[in-house]
Order: sequence, then C-alpha cells, then structure tokens
Amino acid sequence: MKNPINGRAAKPLSPFAYLGVLPFLLFALAFMLLPSGALLFGAFQDAHGRLTFANIVALFDPSILNSYAISIQVSAATAVGGVVAGFLLAHAITMGRLPKAVRSFVVTFSGVASNFAGVPLAFAFISTFGRVGMVTFILKQLFGISLYDSGFNLYSFWGLTITYIYFQIPLMVLIISPTLDGMKREWREAAENLGAGAFRYWLRVGFPILLPSLLSSLVLLFGNAFGAYATAYALTGGLINLVPILIGAQIRGNVLYNPNLGYALALGMVVVMAVALAAYVAMQRLTAGWLK
Amino acid sequence: MNSVKRLVLAAAILAGASALAFAGGSKEAATPAATGAAMTAAPTGMEALIAAAKKEGQLTVIALPHDWVNYGEMISTFEKKYGIRINELNPDGSSGEELQSIKANEGNKGPQAPDVIDVGLAFGPQAKAAGLLAPYKVSTWNTIPDSVKDAEGYWYGDYYGVLAFEVNTSVVKNVPKEWSDLLKPEYKGKIALAGDPRTATQAILTVAAAALANGGGFDNAAPGLQFFNKLNREGNFVPVIAVPGTIASGETPITIRWDYNALANRDRSAGNPPIDVVVPQSGVLAGVYVQGISAYAPHPNAAKLWEEFLYSDEGQLIWLKGYGHPVRFNDLANRKLIPAELAAKLPPAEAYAKAVFPTLAQEEAAQKYIVANWDSVVNVNVAKQ
Amino acid sequence: MRQRKFWSWLWVALAFTYFLLPLVATFLFSLRGKKGVLSFLAYRRVFDDPQFLSTFGFSLEMAILTVAAGFLLMVPTTIWIELKAPKLRSLIEALSYLPFVIPPIVLVFGLIRMYSRPPFALVSTPALLVAGYIVISFPYMYRSISAGLQAIHLKILMEAAQSLGASWISAVLRIVLPNIRSALLSAALLTFAIVIGELTLAVMLAWPAFGPYMALVGRDRAYEPAALAILSFLLTWLSVAVMHAVTRGGERSDSGAGAVH
Repeated sequence: MKNPINGRAAKPLSPFAYLGVLPFLLFALAFMLLPSGALLFGAFQDAHGRLTFANIVALFDPSILNSYAISIQVSAATAVGGVVAGFLLAHAITMGRLPKAVRSFVVTFSGVASNFAGVPLAFAFISTFGRVGMVTFILKQLFGISLYDSGFNLYSFWGLTITYIYFQIPLMVLIISPTLDGMKREWREAAENLGAGAFRYWLRVGFPILLPSLLSSLVLLFGNAFGAYATAYALTGGLINLVPILIGAQIRGNVLYNPNLGYALALGMVVVMAVALAAYVAMQRLTAGWLK
Repeated sequence: MNSVKRLVLAAAILAGASALAFAGGSKEAATPAATGAAMTAAPTGMEALIAAAKKEGQLTVIALPHDWVNYGEMISTFEKKYGIRINELNPDGSSGEELQSIKANEGNKGPQAPDVIDVGLAFGPQAKAAGLLAPYKVSTWNTIPDSVKDAEGYWYGDYYGVLAFEVNTSVVKNVPKEWSDLLKPEYKGKIALAGDPRTATQAILTVAAAALANGGGFDNAAPGLQFFNKLNREGNFVPVIAVPGTIASGETPITIRWDYNALANRDRSAGNPPIDVVVPQSGVLAGVYVQGISAYAPHPNAAKLWEEFLYSDEGQLIWLKGYGHPVRFNDLANRKLIPAELAAKLPPAEAYAKAVFPTLAQEEAAQKYIVANWDSVVNVNVAKQ
Repeated sequence: MRQRKFWSWLWVALAFTYFLLPLVATFLFSLRGKKGVLSFLAYRRVFDDPQFLSTFGFSLEMAILTVAAGFLLMVPTTIWIELKAPKLRSLIEALSYLPFVIPPIVLVFGLIRMYSRPPFALVSTPALLVAGYIVISFPYMYRSISAGLQAIHLKILMEAAQSLGASWISAVLRIVLPNIRSALLSAALLTFAIVIGELTLAVMLAWPAFGPYMALVGRDRAYEPAALAILSFLLTWLSVAVMHAVTRGGERSDSGAGAVH
C-alpha cells in the first residue's frame, strides 16, 4: 500500500502495531463476537443440538428468499435515497453559505431524528399519511384529492421506504458533514478561476474526492436499514416480510418452533452484509484508480 | 476547557464507570434455590410459605401489562399485602418471549430471570416438555377444571375470555355483528389484528376463530386463513397491529381481540373515543391463559405465594374486575361470592354460551398450521407501486 | 454565489417540511386527550407518571456513560490504526458493520448466558448494559471518528506537529482532537440518540430505561404515546443542544492539510 503523499511503500506491520488495537479487540471479542457467536452456532444445530444443515437448506424456501429480497430492496432504496438527500442537505448547510445557526440547528435535529425510529416514527407516519392521516385529510378537504384512491398506500414497500428515510437522512448528514468540512473552499475557487462552472467542478474535482466517503456512507446506511425492524413491525404489523421480523418470529415466538432457523436467518444476514462490504471494497479499488 | 482538564474528566468518568461495573456484582443476593418439589399446601403450610416468601423479598414477573385483566391492581395488592416487591419484566412481551427468557436466564439468579409466567394455553405443555417449569398445586387446586390444567401441576389455567370485535363507533357507525359482516365494502381499510399472527396467541386464535365461523375448525384452520386472504384482497384489512392509539385515531377502528382487553379499553377511553364491544354470533372462541412457575426461579417461594394469591377468592375477583373470567368462576358463583355490580358489568352470559373452548391438542394443531401458513396464504405481496 | 444560496435555502426548506409534517401530526393527535377539545390532558398524564422522568433520567445517564466509555475505547484505537497499523483498517471496518446484522435479541441473550455466572457475573451491573450499547453504536462511532481522522490527514499532521517539537501525546491532545471536533460531535450525537431510545437490551437486562417505558405506554394508551413521543423528542433535543453548546467551536470550514481521503 503506497503512501499517497510521497509514494513510499508502507512499512510491514510489526507485532507491536497490534498492541494498540488490543483493548478494542478484546472488547469486541468479549461483548460482541463471543456472545453472538455461540448462538450463531445454533444455525447448524437442530432442536436437540445435533449437527445439521437443514436450517441452511430451509433458507432457500421461496418465502424466505422473498423476505431477503425485500429486506435488501428496502435497505438499498433507503440507502440511496438517504445518501442523495442527506448529501444535498449536508452540502447546503456546510458549503451553502447559510448562517451558522442553520447548520447548528440541522445538526442538532439530525442528532435527535437519527434514532427517532420504531413505534413513535411508525405512528407519526400513520398519523400523517395513514388512511385518516393529517396529510390525507388535508388533501381531501382542500384539494379534493383522495390519496388512497389514487393508489398510494403507506402500508407498502414505498410507504416503508419514505418512513425509513426519516432516520437515514439525518444519519447521512451527521456522517458526511465533517468530511465536507474538509473539502477546502480554495479548490472550488481555484476551479472557478480556471473557468470551470459548478457542474464541472463537481464532476472533475468534488465527487471523485468524495466518492470513497459516499460509498462507505452508502454501506453504512444500507446496514442501518438492513438491521432495523421496529419501525417496519409497527408500521406493517409483521406482515411485510423483512428478515429481522422473521428472526423475531422464530426466536421470540413459539419456543419449539425453530429458534435454530432464526439463527440461520441471522447468519444469512451476515452473509448479505459481507457481500455488500465486498462490493464496496471492490468499488473503492476501482474508483481509487480514477483518482490518479 | 483545555486538554489536560479534559483528560482528567475523561479519566474520572472512566473510573466512575469502572467502579459501577465492578463494585458489588449482582443487584441482589443469591437466594437458596428450592425448586422442583411439588407440594399441595396445607393451611399451616401457608404461614411457612408466607414467611419463606417474605424472606426472599422479591418476585419477578414477566409480560404482565397493567391493563391486561387488571394485573395492575393484582400486582399492587400483592405488594401491599405481603410486602414483597415485584419486578416487572418486559410488559410488552409475547408468550414465546416469556419462555425464551426463562431459557436464557437459566443460570441467572438476578432480576432478569422470571419467576412466574402467564402464557397462552398451547405454550404450557411446550414449556413443560422443554423442562422450563416447576410443578406446584395451589391450595384451591381442586376447584380448577381438569380440562385446563396439567395433571402433574406444571401449568394451570388462570383466566379466559372470548374474542370480540372492538369498534370505534365515532368512525364506524354501523357496527359489525358477525364475521361475515367484516367482508362488507363499507369496512374498507378498517379492520386490523391486535398482534402478529406468527407470534402472538391473540392474533393466532383470531384466525382460528375465523376458521370456526367459516366452516372450519381447529384441525382445519385453512378457512380462517382464506378469510383473511379475502379480507386483504377486498382491501378491508389494514396490516397495522392495532393498538389503542390507532383505534382512537381511526386508522384501525375495528379490531378483534380478547373481550377483557376490549372492555378495559372501552372503560379507559371513557367515550373518547366511544367504543363498542361485540361478541360475534358465530365463531366464538374462548382462550385460556395458563400460569407456571419457572424451573430456574430465583424466588421459588415468592412464586408459590403469588400463585396462591392468584387462585384465592380475592385474586380471582381482581381478574373478574378486569373483565377476565377467572378459571374458578363457577366455584365462586356457586358460593355466591360474585358482587352484583361486578356481574352487571360483564358481557351477557348468552354470549359465552356459544363459546368454544379448544382443547390443548386442537389449539396446538391450529397454532402450528396458522403460523406456518400465514405468510404464504395471506402474504401481503409487496409489489412495488 | 447567490444562486448557490438560493438552492441551499430551498433544500433546507424542503427537508424541514418533510421532517416537520409527522411531528405536527403526532402533536395534533396528542392534543385530543379530552373529547371534543384540544387539551394537554395527555401531557399532564405523562408528567403525572413518575416513571417518565425517572426512566428518561436513567437512559440519559447510560447515554453519557456509553459516549464516554465508547470514546475512551474507540478514539485511541482509531488514531492508532490510522498512524501505526493502516493495514488493520479493513479488519476493523468489517467488524464495525457486524452489529448491524446481529439481532439485538441474539446479542442480549448471548450476553446474559455468558455473564450471568461467576467469575463474570456482570449481568446485573450497568456495565454490561453500557458494553452492549457500545457494541450497538460501534458502527456509527467508528465511522464518524475514522472519517474525521481521514479528513484531516492524520499522518501529515502528526509528523508536522512532532517535527515542531511536540510529543506524541501532546500532538494528539492539542492538535488532533480539536481538529476532529465535529466528527466527535457526530459520533456522540448518534450514540446518544441510540441509547436513549434503545429497547431490547434494556428490557431483557431488566433496566428501567426510557425505551421500554415508551413501549409500555404505547401498548395500552391512546393519546399518551403521542404526547410521549413529542416530549421525548423535545427532551432529547434539549440534551443534545446542551451537548452541542458545550463543545461548540468545532465547525471549521477548512482544516488540516493535503488531500481528503
């Protein structure tokens, strides 16, 4: 791995280097890996503890594959939506020449809203866009438009998406603002002096520099949505099949039903996340080449 | 604040956190475990039991919302009467979660481990088979009907109710009286379940009741699933779990749940919104909940005392106040112990005359079938719109 | 310039509308506690419940502990990785995404099983809850801090500081930390919000936290949950604003030197 500034090859990693990350690794082992690992072994066991692949095979049941598909779709849609909308908002408050107070306000709000998820958020959206929601009502009374008759339905894929985005955008704003801060204003001004308009600036300078951060934000938002279920559960009553809801149904439902299948489902989620990460790493490598 | 001060503050916080972490270990001292031995408590045994329970000082219950068959009053009365503090775990939990909690807390004597559980009928035998229960026969054991208790005393029915329609009458003027009424177009987008039909007993049995009303039965729950499939296709079904908030707002103005919950909500709303509770003409399903003591209970004597209290006349009447029919209802009625005003507030007896009490085997069969097939039969096809 | 300002304002206004609508709807519903009139009855009922403030206070305490302990663990580690062991970055980043796919119910049952017996009987101590919270907020914390460090090109900064005679510790405390203040703030805000509303860990470990309290109220009451949602939003806002004000001075429009990674 070359040092990007002076091109020198990085020194090989001495054992001493691992010392600094030891506290963290021990913590991760003790409180994350071991507790969940022991249970994830249950994915390969049956109800009596015998080794079996039956749970893994069961993952390929059409309804389960469908729920993975829906989970991935919702997570991807809200990740993209969140990255785009969040970026625009973050850009507006950091580089948009707005008063400092606006940035302060938006950052504070984002801090609060980024976890306004679950039952309160679902209920808030039901109160707004539900069949007797505020917006539905206003549209009917003031404009004569019947929202639900024209095909809109909050209790659907897109309804879930616009609900999820409520906490995805603030997350993006918080994550990307410090990075945007690091983009020197001088570059923009220099580009303008050289005759490049805003579009060309972003195309040639801005986005290439930001691309790694945007990509990793995409993965972060994807993961954030992928593991979330409280909102979906409260909004759609467990009827829209997301994988975390299925896991809950297996592990928290009937005790003999199949918690082992639940662990297998969780293992499946780990695999999906790993694939997403691999895709991200590949994209990073690819776009790093463009930067040169 | 300069960096040195910040470092000192950080160190102080860390020291404080570490002190919290390593000081004193558990929240309460380990109690001597006396699990397992079944005993039929004789009157003199009661005093010894009370003393032993008081010594333990605590009881951990799980999944008991205060507004569910008046558990709030049950808990506070018990605490005042015996001076034993009750830890309330996970009031929102489902029957399945209760069993999982016992299992996960096997070696734990702390307050995360439940002492007693109150679960749907079908979960009693499962808990017994998984070795999660300790047998105990309360002093009023003989007045509990045989059909709702385990002969060896591992689990025993506590109260029952029937599934009824709860209707917000400020939104729905024409109250449905029958299962078939629910399919009418005037109820478009108005009907919801009060739980997830893959995990919650109440919702699962709602589907079974629909099966009953549509020519099926417990061994044939398919008509119930078909009914909800139809309800969904017609657009009458709202896939939101109905809670008092959504009922009041009009988002789910019609829901189906246990009569005791519906009646309690009606009383609590006090007209805001006005609520009507209707027991349907057919497909009247009675559901029994059962008590059990955890095999790993950290406070086994307090647990036994709690059971004694629940099955005493006093405890059973507290449940009746919450609109739940206590399992010893007939015994209390025969001994003329039910106050007249209380009897007047209950739904009319005729509604209960048609109630079907599923046997254990029937309930298990229905549960398995519904949980396994809900997704494929009623699946909300999340096609992108 | 003016064009840019116009678009910026437009975006903020659009976003504001989107974020405000559900809050307004919730607020309006919460005022329907008394039949026929708008009243704050639901709010009064919430305030009358002593559990409201006590559970919020508890979660607030836990949030502060989690942020502090999390920073103590993550900031030195991330700085170390950037400076001394960049090769480990991918490993730690991969680890950081793990909490997304571990269902909290699996994590908490695992923690209970592992730490409910001596010699590690931590299950009834707040430390285990805090540890669980750190695990859950790990992705956000790590990503924020690491992005902040990369934005200031840490290596160059450290070399510059050290060539000017500053010791390692001094350079970190006096140069690095102040420069990543906005990133640290982001990490703190995210962690804070997560802990205040967290449900599963608090419920299963039997702690009187705010999340379980909100779930309980939502189950049985019609208008109080809406009032509670608004109140919790406001209270969290207040706490976050205080935190923000205390650490003000972190917004820098240009910092560090060299290319942004």
